[in-house]
Amino acid sequence: MSQADFTVDVFQNEYLPEGSRDVNAIVTVTSVADPASAPPGGPGGLGGPSGLSELAEIIIIDCSGSMNAPPGKIAEARAATAAAVDVIRDGVAFAVIAGTETARPVFPQDGSMAIAGPQTRQAAKKAVGGLRPAGGTAIGQWLRLAHQIFTEDPAGPGHHPGHTQVRHAILLTDGKNQHETPEQLAGAIAVCEGVFSCDCRGVGTDWEVAELRRISAALLGTVDIVPDPGGLAADFEAMMETAMGKQIADVALRVWTPQHASIRFIKQVAPAIEDLTGRRSPAGPQAGDYPTGAWAPGESRDYHVCVEVSPAGVGQEMLAARVSLVAATPSGPQVLGQGLVRALWTDDEALSTRINPHVAHYTGQAELAEVIQEGLQARKEGDEDTATAKLSRAVALASEAGNEGTAKLLAKVVEVDATGTVRLRKKVEDADEMALDTRSTKTVRTRK
Amino acid sequence: MLTCPAGHDSASSDFCDVCGMRMGGAPEAASPVAPEAAPSQEPEPAADPCPRCGTGRSGQFCEVCGFDFESRSGSPGATGAAVPGSGSAPAGARTATGWVAEVAADRAYFDKVVAQGGADAGTLRFPAYCPRRRFRLTGPEVRIGRRSVQRGIEPEIDLTGPPADPGVSRMHAVLILEPDGSLTVIDPGSENGTLVNGSEIPVGVKVPLAEGDSIQLGAWTVITIRAAHI
Repeated sequence: MSQADFTVDVFQNEYLPEGSRDVNAIVTVTSVADPASAPPGGPGGLGGPSGLSELAEIIIIDCSGSMNAPPGKIAEARAATAAAVDVIRDGVAFAVIAGTETARPVFPQDGSMAIAGPQTRQAAKKAVGGLRPAGGTAIGQWLRLAHQIFTEDPAGPGHHPGHTQVRHAILLTDGKNQHETPEQLAGAIAVCEGVFSCDCRGVGTDWEVAELRRISAALLGTVDIVPDPGGLAADFEAMMETAMGKQIADVALRVWTPQHASIRFIKQVAPAIEDLTGRRSPAGPQAGDYPTGAWAPGESRDYHVCVEVSPAGVGQEMLAARVSLVAATPSGPQVLGQGLVRALWTDDEALSTRINPHVAHYTGQAELAEVIQEGLQARKEGDEDTATAKLSRAVALASEAGNEGTAKLLAKVVEVDATGTVRLRKKVEDADEMALDTRSTKTVRTRK
Repeated sequence: MLTCPAGHDSASSDFCDVCGMRMGGAPEAASPVAPEAAPSQEPEPAADPCPRCGTGRSGQFCEVCGFDFESRSGSPGATGAAVPGSGSAPAGARTATGWVAEVAADRAYFDKVVAQGGADAGTLRFPAYCPRRRFRLTGPEVRIGRRSVQRGIEPEIDLTGPPADPGVSRMHAVLILEPDGSLTVIDPGSENGTLVNGSEIPVGVKVPLAEGDSIQLGAWTVITIRAAHI
């Protein structure tokens, strides 16, 4: 009765020197590519006509006064929203929200969700075309309205019994969250956690990377900069297309560890770094669930799991972690795949000193993201020495790992002379610095 | 329901649901006789799991729950049934065969460093968050410093951070496990020097360390030495 299956591959050096406690592994999780293998929505299935989940989409557009400057910005945002609306598949529930110091439904105007079709898409685009910027920015209010629409709409697909639903939002802003406190925003994020996922985009350079990253990290989405409003339409279309593929709802990584063991960290390390350690919710004895959000068929992600165990003797073997993929289904949680992280103590140093290349690679990538963010922070604070040191390390790590995307972004902030000495560039475009910051967590995979 | 070598009930047949040990695969090793203060750094292979928690035996007491393998009684200090004199027993009472270094941030020391007003004192900041880190010392030498890929320095106690202590040299000090099991520290010539229990130690001279001694270095780093009863 299995439907959306996952494969779980574990990469590690299971041999530990005597007395050693830390077990590291890279766990690659891949959802099986063939959605046809899913039975059509039968009992125990994940629901929906294709055997997969139903989708619901909300687009949240910043309509604060600053969207008027430059004057083309709101026009591009309207065009981008229209482009995204065009990509929404027939039958998907959707809505559009305009955000200022408060939030209001733009389409449908009564705060419900419409079912996508030729007429509703047309009507939505017409409503979006009438958006005029005026007012402030209170992103928490926008999120709360999205939450209300997702959960309260009586016609929404979430109310079809027996169906699970993938809820996704796109949030666009061009400014800082000025008209509410950080606590108000944090409260709104907490309400939305686990209810819907949210991809955040900042247009221009007057917004705060850390602020949007807080939202996207908690709501299991992405964050990126769109420096030029002209690039919005293509970006929105791509985001919506990705969202349309995410048909497997609410998958959690369930990690069992032995008695007296503790989890040092669990991070998603590819396609981007997200620390999940603090996101644990208990799931039975010695086990906890870490949210991963929705998955598309064929999608693959890597996780770095680090467990501290109490060491056994040489020659003994212990299971350090049992990593399962668990989906919430109407009939209860269902295990969709499983991998084992093992520990085997040895006195053979040739075995225990081997470093697993995948573990090493992602340890370097995590450090890369960290030194970039620290380096940029130091630069902001005027601490040039620390900034230079951190970003030099970043240059070295990026080249070691073959992370060309990040290397290219780094080159816009620092210059490397013929002797290999790294210097901060005197003049750096805000957009380049923000692009480096937002994209610093993107990793490259060691293999296909 | 299956039973693992340590006696736990387990529904899984590959590894025990409780302790994670391989089911039915525990090798039958020579059952360890009472390890009379064995000088060996390597305790008997733990073929004898603790009957209470399943942790492999590595000495007289279970490292995890404190079970006494010899008298087959409970946790020292936890109940009245404890072995006499083994509460928070001094190191001599057990076989202190190892050392642990605990790294933390020391506010009082930091304030003193800033008060001395060195050239960069104004730029120093005390870290807002510094998790306590523990390093098990496995000899013969344990280097304290900050990792440098270019210079090929890979200290066993790597203080790269975050938070990064700007006052720690790449190769700052070395802990030496002497053949007799004692511990000394040597500063091979760090930029900013090293303190043991508050007084600066001379460069290039071994200074003996004991349980509870603290080594201060950099702007705020303190390393406390603990005996590990393994």
